[in-house]
Amino acid sequence: MKRNAVVFVALVVVVMAMLAAGRYLDRTRKHGPTRLVGNVRGVPAPDFDLLTLDGQKVKLSDYRGKAVLLNFWATWCPPCKIEMPWFVDLQNRYGKDGLVVLGVAMDDSEASKIAEFTHEMGVNYPVLLGTDKVSDDYGDVQYLPTTFYIDRNGMIVDKMAGLLSRQDIENDVKKVVNSTYKIKPTSSTRAQASHRAEVEVKHTSKDAAQ
Amino acid sequence: MRRVPLFVLTALLLAALGVAQGDKQPTVIMAPVGNVQVRAGGSTDLELNFRIGSDFHINSNKPKADYLIPTVLKLSPPEQVSLADVKYPPGQEMSFAFSPNEKLSVYSGDFAINTVLKAPAGAVPGTYPVKGELRFQACDHSACYPPRSIPVQFQVTVVKK
Repeated sequence: MKRNAVVFVALVVVVMAMLAAGRYLDRTRKHGPTRLVGNVRGVPAPDFDLLTLDGQKVKLSDYRGKAVLLNFWATWCPPCKIEMPWFVDLQNRYGKDGLVVLGVAMDDSEASKIAEFTHEMGVNYPVLLGTDKVSDDYGDVQYLPTTFYIDRNGMIVDKMAGLLSRQDIENDVKKVVNSTYKIKPTSSTRAQASHRAEVEVKHTSKDAAQ
Repeated sequence: MRRVPLFVLTALLLAALGVAQGDKQPTVIMAPVGNVQVRAGGSTDLELNFRIGSDFHINSNKPKADYLIPTVLKLSPPEQVSLADVKYPPGQEMSFAFSPNEKLSVYSGDFAINTVLKAPAGAVPGTYPVKGELRFQACDHSACYPPRSIPVQFQVTVVKK
């Protein structure tokens, strides 16, 4: 009987070690260094390409220059439901200051069912259809709600897992809204700036001609 | 007598797996089912016992809102045996810190699902596997986890009349 117990304990230890090693190797192989792990404050938020409930493609980088509250949620998650009216209110109050709330629905259900739910909840911000990839990129988001606060430069300011108080959420919103957008002169931004300048020149010439 | 230590050891093993994976994941485990015998032409009651990890709850089979995912047991009996209705326990009406004014119908701790196994008069005696799964969606005091399924397996022995 004692021998059986020793064998069982040894088996548990071996299984634990194998699982821990397997999980580590799997993460490293699948995700590489871009996947969020551990403390994510100050880390660039992984870009994504997701569909809205009405089929429009949305990238996180589309919102560069905005303060983003990225909320992973699901219709079957009662704590997520508690937060939704708060996000609606925050979008109303801080939208003019550059806040964009983005919901990422981690449901398996059809977009129409999620849309019905968000309509009933009076959601006034874009809701995107979550994928395994975006969940993995953001650190295997299993615990819902999980919210990332992303500043105007695309850097993560804070991550909150589980339901927190409305005041805690608003404090994080203020942090990202108060962030300053620093444009780095990369080749792409230089090209964009040059394009914008050309457009502005054309408009100015048209105005002058009229 | 041997069932209790096995249940405890299984719980310990699952807890160890949770630690090895580095996350606190909700666990639901099924107690091993003893020797289930049913006489050809007769029936026998069957109770399946489950244990939910501490700090977690799962929705009952009849949650209070359409958007919540119910706990459902699905079994595929062999041809020699049929299952009568599956009877779920009533949920405990509980409210949680995330919504103190709303009561949810949930299971926590231990719960049992009952059913009746029937063997037709012409059933061929022998031992047959019954396979299935329990699907559930768990939450703790402030967050929820995606729906999961655990396997449900036991053997049933059909004996002569």
